[in-house]
Amino acid sequence: MTREVTRALGWASAVTAGLALLILLGSRKLEHFDAALVAYTFSIVFATFGLTYRYTMWLSRPPTALYWRRGWQAFLLGGHRLRNARSWFARVTLDVLLNRFILRRDRLRGLTHLLIMWGCTLAVAITFPLVFGWLHFGPVPGNLSMYQAVVFGFVAFRFPHDSWVAFLLFHGLVWASFLVIAGVMLAMRRRMREEGAGAVQRFAEDFMPLLLLFAVSVTGLMLTASYTWMRGYGFTFISLLHACTVIGTFVWLPFGKFFHVFQRPAQLGVSFYKDMGRLGDKAHCRRCGHAFSSRMHVLDLIAVERQLGFKYEIPGSPAEHYQWVCPPCRRASFAVAQGLLWRDQRGGAPLSQTHEPQAMPAQANPGLGSGPLGPEDAENFHP
Amino acid sequence: MKSPEVAADVPVPGLDLDAIREFGPFRAYAQDVRVDSGVIPDKQVKTHCCFCGQQCGIELKVKGNTIIGIEPRYDFPFNRGMLCPKGVKRYLQQAHPDRLLSAYAKDSNAPSGFRRLPYEEAIRRVADEIQRIQTAHGPNAFAVLSGASLTTEKTYLMGKFAHMCLRTSNIDYNGRLCMVSAGAGNKKAFGVDRAANPWSDILETDVVLVAGANVAECAPITTNYIWQARERGAKVIVVDPRITPLARTADLFLPVKPGRDTALFNGILQLMIENDWLDHDFIARHTVGFEALAREVRAWTPQRTAEVTGVAERSIRRAAELWGTAKSSFLMHARGIEHHSHGVHNVLSTINIVLASGRIGRRGSGYATITGQANGQGGREHGQKCDQLPGGRELANPEHRAYIAGLWNMEPDELPQPGVDAYEIMRKAHAGEIRGLLSICFNPVVSLPDNNFVRAALEKLEFFVTIDFFMSETSRYADVVLPGSLQEEDEGTVTQVEGRIIRINKAVECPGDAREDWRIIQDLARALGRERGFTFQSPGEIFEELRVASKGGICDYSGVTYENIEKHDGVFWPCPSETPAGIPATSAQGTLRLFEPDSWNPIARGAGPFYFPDGKARFNVTPYVGPAEDVDADYPVILTTGRVVSQFLSGNQTRRIGPLVDHYPEPRVELHPKLAARLGIAHGDWTTLRSRRGTLTVRASVVSTIRPDTVFVPYHWGGRKSVNQLTISAQDAISKIPEFKVCAVNVVKADGPPEYATQLEPQQ
Amino acid sequence: MPVPETREFFLDASRCIGCQSCVQACAECDTHKGQSMIQLDYVDRSRSTQTLPVICMHCDSPTCAEVCPADAIKRTEDGVVQTARKPRCIACNNCVLACPFGVPKMNTRMNLMMKCDMCYDRTSVGLKPMRASVCPSQALAFGTREEIAALRPGARPVNTFQFGAQTIRTKVNVLVPKAAANEIIDVTAAMYEPPLGRDLLDDMSEPGRSPA
Repeated sequence: MTREVTRALGWASAVTAGLALLILLGSRKLEHFDAALVAYTFSIVFATFGLTYRYTMWLSRPPTALYWRRGWQAFLLGGHRLRNARSWFARVTLDVLLNRFILRRDRLRGLTHLLIMWGCTLAVAITFPLVFGWLHFGPVPGNLSMYQAVVFGFVAFRFPHDSWVAFLLFHGLVWASFLVIAGVMLAMRRRMREEGAGAVQRFAEDFMPLLLLFAVSVTGLMLTASYTWMRGYGFTFISLLHACTVIGTFVWLPFGKFFHVFQRPAQLGVSFYKDMGRLGDKAHCRRCGHAFSSRMHVLDLIAVERQLGFKYEIPGSPAEHYQWVCPPCRRASFAVAQGLLWRDQRGGAPLSQTHEPQAMPAQANPGLGSGPLGPEDAENFHP
Repeated sequence: MKSPEVAADVPVPGLDLDAIREFGPFRAYAQDVRVDSGVIPDKQVKTHCCFCGQQCGIELKVKGNTIIGIEPRYDFPFNRGMLCPKGVKRYLQQAHPDRLLSAYAKDSNAPSGFRRLPYEEAIRRVADEIQRIQTAHGPNAFAVLSGASLTTEKTYLMGKFAHMCLRTSNIDYNGRLCMVSAGAGNKKAFGVDRAANPWSDILETDVVLVAGANVAECAPITTNYIWQARERGAKVIVVDPRITPLARTADLFLPVKPGRDTALFNGILQLMIENDWLDHDFIARHTVGFEALAREVRAWTPQRTAEVTGVAERSIRRAAELWGTAKSSFLMHARGIEHHSHGVHNVLSTINIVLASGRIGRRGSGYATITGQANGQGGREHGQKCDQLPGGRELANPEHRAYIAGLWNMEPDELPQPGVDAYEIMRKAHAGEIRGLLSICFNPVVSLPDNNFVRAALEKLEFFVTIDFFMSETSRYADVVLPGSLQEEDEGTVTQVEGRIIRINKAVECPGDAREDWRIIQDLARALGRERGFTFQSPGEIFEELRVASKGGICDYSGVTYENIEKHDGVFWPCPSETPAGIPATSAQGTLRLFEPDSWNPIARGAGPFYFPDGKARFNVTPYVGPAEDVDADYPVILTTGRVVSQFLSGNQTRRIGPLVDHYPEPRVELHPKLAARLGIAHGDWTTLRSRRGTLTVRASVVSTIRPDTVFVPYHWGGRKSVNQLTISAQDAISKIPEFKVCAVNVVKADGPPEYATQLEPQQ
Repeated sequence: MPVPETREFFLDASRCIGCQSCVQACAECDTHKGQSMIQLDYVDRSRSTQTLPVICMHCDSPTCAEVCPADAIKRTEDGVVQTARKPRCIACNNCVLACPFGVPKMNTRMNLMMKCDMCYDRTSVGLKPMRASVCPSQALAFGTREEIAALRPGARPVNTFQFGAQTIRTKVNVLVPKAAANEIIDVTAAMYEPPLGRDLLDDMSEPGRSPA
């Protein structure tokens, strides 16, 4: 067992134990624990173990570890903390909560993702506390027309059982499933319709999660339908079916596409890392002399590449390491290397050396989309 | 430095901001249905690109009445899926926001200068004006300008409309700026005007000589033919004042000084004679006139040639040796040597070295001129040239007149006499001799030289009508603009660079009031009360008449059918429907290669392979004459003009296609670092060029890939960005092609950005 | 839906004429319409018209995927290194800067790295990649080894490259002269070589004479 695995198992065990402890505490030693939900609880505990294990393994990969470390360093950078906190809120709101970057990829895809994301979030927010025994509802003792919500054993608020608040609360999962189903439908439509998506999608990676979400939502709705309009017809069977779909989803959580939910926040770290890079020195290409990325980024990449076993060092060259060469100069060197081999067969020859350093290659079509795709490309490719 | 003299009455073009606001050019990018990868096209129409003379096969993906994309045509033998960037993005010209959807009439009260006009009313008005001008001033007072991007059916109809319906002598076409030098040279040397060989012959040749053709940018697909020849070991010689992308890797590059091509080829011929790199047998059996030519070129020693052409002597010697000792060879040229006041001589001087080598008319050996426009070949064959009748017949030839008059059911005497060329039409308009003009498929305000004069001429017209799909710079001068059709909105045939007749298929319907150009012409004929001969119901019907009209002519299409074109991926003319007894019938695919040793043609009738009564090709004496305007102390730099790969001709279409505009947004002047250093100009500086005719300010591109005595500006832009404000209207005495490729300018660093820089988008 | 193993990419940058057909055609691809994944540069336009089209070379052990902190870049069984998985890519730019060939692009607004994935949408249904079909100089060619051998008798494919001490093997081939001894193209050795072209003054009769 490697060190990474040991550490990952350690973290996974610790976090899982922590969750178990919280369940015990939150349910007042299982006093409020709903025994009917025990299978759900165990599947979540299993998922927690799996997710923590995978997350830790993921973080131990050199590039991830570096970003993790640097991300925090950048976030906690002295003199920038207030500003960082502000931009953290802005970034969380725009990119995480509002999915701005996905809306920019495609508006309909953004909407799809928003529906699924908020549907799932709502469902999780309702069910997890219930399943863990952290939250339960019950009639107010002595007043049969009033209900109360009990959180971690404390009464949080009360409401009349025939009020709209009650209606909204008790049907929370219905609303969640509406959101998810609409999102899944849109996603399915795109995947079945667009050739671009069709070319790269795979069943396990792309359809499976949609099918699982759909199954969870539909069986959940069937439960509601069963007890609302059908006097509980087939309720046991449906609840078993629903439990299967939910547990399946949880168990699958650490392995498939849903893992991105936990990976994605790393984007925030990257934003702060980029902010920090902009504050420091630029890297200067050791072929054309032009500034491109941040010096910190280049140094970090050199370290990461070494850890990964790449040997981009260039012995005897003023460049020292290939990472000090900007992307356009890499392309130019590649072409010149190939062209030189044809020197005797084809006309033309290496021109006399007049530039020191070499001239900067320029994108033949700097138009947006044809050349750089954004400001960072513009910086790295210097059109 | 003396300030340049600009004629006082020449209007400097305005920025036309109001017209641009309404009519563009604006850039279109793919959006909505065009980027939705879930949209399945209703159909994919096999057709050809609308731009250059190579006519690459292309499939247009159609959804509703919108072309949403393209697919290369792997089955079309010429390009086998290859396309240049214009072909890839050509679909964006369709369903374009700038598209003219109705007729327009000039209206000085409207902000843009134009108001919409119901189509019928517009036709009525045009017919009335034609009637009025011709009644008052005679039939020749109304002229017609046409173009070689039209289908052959339309070009035939335009010639017929001018000659039969309007009875005017004055019709000419924009091939006057394009193919006429090559055409005249070919006629004089071979008796026929068509690429002698199919492009497949390039693949099997040992030496490729490319003269005055930026193949990589203006005929991109030809590049692969040349590369494939090289893969077999062929050597490539490029003659050009600039190191074009093809010249960069050529085996030999001759950086000729603009306007000195005849001297260069005379010098090469002299070396061939000196070293006896001649095919004496071929010269004796198949040519006449070699002795006179040999006498003429004797003076062209390598030293003198080097001195005049600016090409190193050893390079000239090497070129002569490579060419002279080749087993097989292919010579091709384009506007670079043709756009000169002695363009025909330049062409003939290249033909002379081909004939002297005897390497023509066989597999892997030959000669071709690269046509510029989509129908640069077909458009110059069937009667829209000022001296021409269908089938390559001549308006001055009584027999030819009689044949066509018979077909058109009129008296030969009723056919007008030959008229004048396109530029002369402008001069006559300026002089008040021509009072009315109809222009289609032509943007002279951008494409003619000395275009400030052209503007003045157009403003003097009593009535000017254009047929256009976008409001071109020229149409902004029109009294009435009729909404015509894009290539994809109509069907017909064109004849591409190899002489291959191909089918253009209709993909979408004309939008709004717009309609197929041939319908507009027929509507005019009807409104004039002379609809006899103009009642075709389809391009196919026009083609059937064209077949008969061309029968027996040099450009014989009589054996060509739409079916055979589709079946054989094109038919090469001549393709007569019948041949005399004893002569094998022409194959359904037509004549792939001209001048094959035992071939039959209607002029030589078996006497030899060339299209003269004796069957022999002509050597032409080509004395070197310098350009009409050489450099001097006031205008010390040579200006040459040309194209870039992303734009096409006057840019009326390509300047509306966003991704192509981004590729090369605005004209720049290329100049050598040596010249730039002396003038104190750095890369990117605003630079002013002045000639005796106009002024142009553009940014500098300092590159060592151009001769230090020459600057280059591409010509695709209009208004104050048009380099043709500077060029000279000197014309070749034979072909009447203008000298776009040489004039004298002075170049200075500009004081600041020109007015347009802040007011116009790059393409406007 | 793998790319048929028999058809491969062959790159001969020395043939390139810089016409940008590939750039424009690439932007027609359904998976990234309007955005081109081809990198086409002038080595040094002030001195030469040398241009170079660079597409993803599809490395056997892709540096981009290894340095990706988000596990967003995957290589298929048939050796195609795919563009970033959209849910995962966190737009860190590691791949852009680490790719030895300088291929990936960063769409900052979308927080998404984008690169050529060998026209998976076309090759997976048997169509030729658009950019290779259209290339007028066939600097980018797509076909079987036999087809290329027949069309380019003087050339031979190489797919191993040296960057400093690092050797990289790729799925995409580069054409070198048959006579060349190289089994490996040393890219970093050419790093300080000037562009290839010609000095126009060499071919002129009186290069020294002033133009005015």
